Amino acid sequence: MADNTIEIDNAVKRFAEHVAVRDLSLRVPRGSVYGLLGPNGAGKTTTIRMILNIIAPDSGSIRILGRPANDPKITDQIGYLPEERGLYRKMQVRRVLRFLAELKGMNATDADSRIDEWLVKFDLKTPEKDWGLSKIDELSRGMQQKVQFIGTLLHDPELVILDEPFSGLDPINAQALKDTIVELKQRGKTIIFSTHLMDNAERICDSVCIIARGEKVLDGAIGEIKRSHGTRNVALGLDGDPTPDVSAVLSDSTLVDRVDDSNRYFEIEMAKGADPQDLLRRVVATGAMVNRFEIVLPSLHQIFLEKVGATGIEMGMTGHG
Amino acid sequence: MAKLWAIIKREYLERVRTKWFIFATVFGPIFFGAMIIIPAVITKNSKGSTEFTNARILDATTSGIGQRIADIMNRERQPGSIPPQVIVVKPSELSQAESTATQQVMAKQVSGYLVTDQRTLAGEVARYAGRNATSLGDMERLRGAVKEALLTQRLQSAGIDSSRVRDLTFIPLQLSSERITDKGRGGSGTVSIIFAGGIAFLLYMSIVLYGQNVLRGVLEEKTTRVAEVVFSSVPAETLLAGKVLGVGAVGLTQQILWVITTVIMFKLRQPILAKFGVSTMPFDLPEISIGLALLLLLFFILGFIFYSSLYAAVGASVNSEQEAQQAVQPMLILLVATAIFITPILENPTSRVAQVMSLLPFSAPIIMPLRLALGSVPWYELAGSLIGVFIACLAATWFAARIYRVGLLMYGKRPTLGEMMKWVSYSR
Repeated sequence: MADNTIEIDNAVKRFAEHVAVRDLSLRVPRGSVYGLLGPNGAGKTTTIRMILNIIAPDSGSIRILGRPANDPKITDQIGYLPEERGLYRKMQVRRVLRFLAELKGMNATDADSRIDEWLVKFDLKTPEKDWGLSKIDELSRGMQQKVQFIGTLLHDPELVILDEPFSGLDPINAQALKDTIVELKQRGKTIIFSTHLMDNAERICDSVCIIARGEKVLDGAIGEIKRSHGTRNVALGLDGDPTPDVSAVLSDSTLVDRVDDSNRYFEIEMAKGADPQDLLRRVVATGAMVNRFEIVLPSLHQIFLEKVGATGIEMGMTGHG
Repeated sequence: MAKLWAIIKREYLERVRTKWFIFATVFGPIFFGAMIIIPAVITKNSKGSTEFTNARILDATTSGIGQRIADIMNRERQPGSIPPQVIVVKPSELSQAESTATQQVMAKQVSGYLVTDQRTLAGEVARYAGRNATSLGDMERLRGAVKEALLTQRLQSAGIDSSRVRDLTFIPLQLSSERITDKGRGGSGTVSIIFAGGIAFLLYMSIVLYGQNVLRGVLEEKTTRVAEVVFSSVPAETLLAGKVLGVGAVGLTQQILWVITTVIMFKLRQPILAKFGVSTMPFDLPEISIGLALLLLLFFILGFIFYSSLYAAVGASVNSEQEAQQAVQPMLILLVATAIFITPILENPTSRVAQVMSLLPFSAPIIMPLRLALGSVPWYELAGSLIGVFIACLAATWFAARIYRVGLLMYGKRPTLGEMMKWVSYSR
C-alpha cells in the first residue's frame, strides 16, 4: 500500500473563462489530518472535486490510495462533506442516510445498524425521541448538519474530505467535529479539510497546503513550515492601551518589518538584522507595561499573509476566525 | 448497477409515498367515472324523470283522448312512480279545474297538468303547465304521447281494429350509428375515437406532469447541493438515468392503476347507472392486442425519456422555480402544439398533418399512439416514427447529460444559451 493517500502530479484544470488549477502537485500522507488552505476562489473546491472525480483534470494525474481517481472502487472509500450543505428536505432522516450509504455500495441491512449507532452517538436518537423517523425539514439546522456528517462517515471511509466544515457550526457542534476528526485520525483514517480559518488549521492539521490563484504557494508538515519561516518573530503583550510612543517604536522600519496588531497583543516580524533585545529595550523605555515578550515561531496566519499577500486578502481572505 | 438501482428506488418510493400521488391515483378514476356517469344521469333527467307521469290530465272533450294519453304514459312509467290521473271536465268548468290543478302543483302534489280540448282533437295544440315544463325530455315524451293517442284515435275512427292499432303504432326504434372513415367501417366510431383521444390525452398529461416532476427534482438537488454529495459517489449520468427511470416508473404505475380502475368502472357502468335509474345500451370496450399495448408502452417510454431528459437539463441550468418557469417555455410550446393537433387528427387520422406529426420526434410519442389506437398505420410510417423518436431520444439524453453534469455544480446567474453550448463541449 502506498504511504500517501493522495498523490497529485501536475494537475491542470481550465474552465472557459479562467484557469482554476495550474500545475498543482501535492502529497497527502496516510493517516494525517491535512489542511487545504487558501482564499476564496483559490481553487480549493476545484481541487477537491478533482480528487472526488466529479470533474477530471485537463492534464496531470491524481492517484488515491494507490489507484487512479477515476477507478470506480475508489469512490466507496471516500466520504465527502460539501461546503454548502443540504439534504432532501421532505425525506425521512433514516431513509436519507440509507440512500447515501447505498450510493457508497453498502447494503441496507448493514447501513441500518450503523445508522442507529451514529444517531445515538450524535444525540439524534434518545429514549424520548428518535429523530431518525422525522423528516429532514423538521430538524434544526444544527441537527441537519449532524445528519449530513453522519452521511459522510456512515460507510467508514478511508479518506474523509470536508469542505469548509467549520463554517456555520455552533461552538458545540464545532467541538464535536474536532473530536470526531481526532478520533478518525486515531483510527488511521486520512482527513482533508479545506478552510480559510488559519487558527483552526494550525490547531488540527498535521500538514497543510496553501494555494492561491490556482497555484500551490507552499506545503508540508506544519512544524517544518513554521521552522523554515524563521525565528524572527516576537510575541509582545501589553497591559493597557498602547501609547503613541509604543506605536512609534513598532513602526520603525529599521527594527520591525511587519506587525499584526491585535490591540494589546502584537505579533511582530523583526526587520533583517534587527535585534529583538533592542525592541524590548525601546518598548520598556516608553514606559509601557510589558506582560509578555517571547521569541516565537510565526503563526500559520502570518506565513499565509506573507506568502499570499495582499491579493489573497482582496480575494476574500478573512484571517482569524 | 446497484447504485443506479438505489437511485431509481429512492426516486420511485419518495414520490409514490406522497399524498399528492395517492390522491391523484385514487381520485383520477373517480373523476373519470363521474365524467361517465354524470352526463348519463343528466341525459336521463332531460329524457324524462320519474316526475313525468305524476300529472293530471284535464280532458275537456268527450272523446276519451285523456284516457288514451294516460295509457300511453303508463306504458313508459318508471316502476314506483305515480301514474297520471284523468279528470274529465266540461269546457265551461275548465278554468275552475285549471286553478285547482295549479294549486296542487304549487303544493307539490303533482308535477303538472295537461289540458286537452277540441283544438287538441283537431291536432292543433295541447297545453301543459307544471314544474317540469323546462325539461326538454319530458316535453318531448309528452308531445309523443299526445300524438300517438291522436293517431290511435284517428285510426280507430277509420275502422281499424283496436288491437291492430297497438301493433301498428308501437315502434320503439333506436338509431345505432357506425362510423365510416377513409379506411372504411371502423367498428363503433365513437368508442374508438374516445379511446384514441383518451390515450393521447393520457400520454400528454403524464409527460407534462412527470416531466415537470423531473425538473423539480433536479432543481431540488441543485439548490440543496445534494447533487454534489451524490456526484461524489456516482457519475452524473447515473443520477440522471436513475431519476428519469424512477420518475417514469411512477408515471407508468399511475397510468396502469388508472387504466385498470377505469376498465373496471366501465364494466360496472351499467349496474351503477341502473341504480340511478338509467338503462343503457351495452357498451363494448375496444379490444387491445398485446402488440398494440407493447407499442403504446414503447412510445410512452421513449417520449417520456425524450421530454424528461430535456426537463432535467432545464432544471440543472436554472437556480429557482421562477427561472425554471421561463426556461421551460420552448418545451411547453412543443407539447402544447402537439396537443392542439389531437382533435383535428382524431377526426382525420390519415391526413398529411397526421402523417407529419407522427414522424416529428417531438409530437410522434403522442400522435402515433393516437393513430395506432384509431386503426392500422402503414408499417413504414410506424417504423419511421419509432426510429425518429429513438434517435431523438439518444440525442436528447446525450445533450441533457452534459448540461446536467456541468449545470448542477454551477451556481449563480442563469447561463445564456451560448454558455450552455460550451458546457456541452466540456470534457468533464
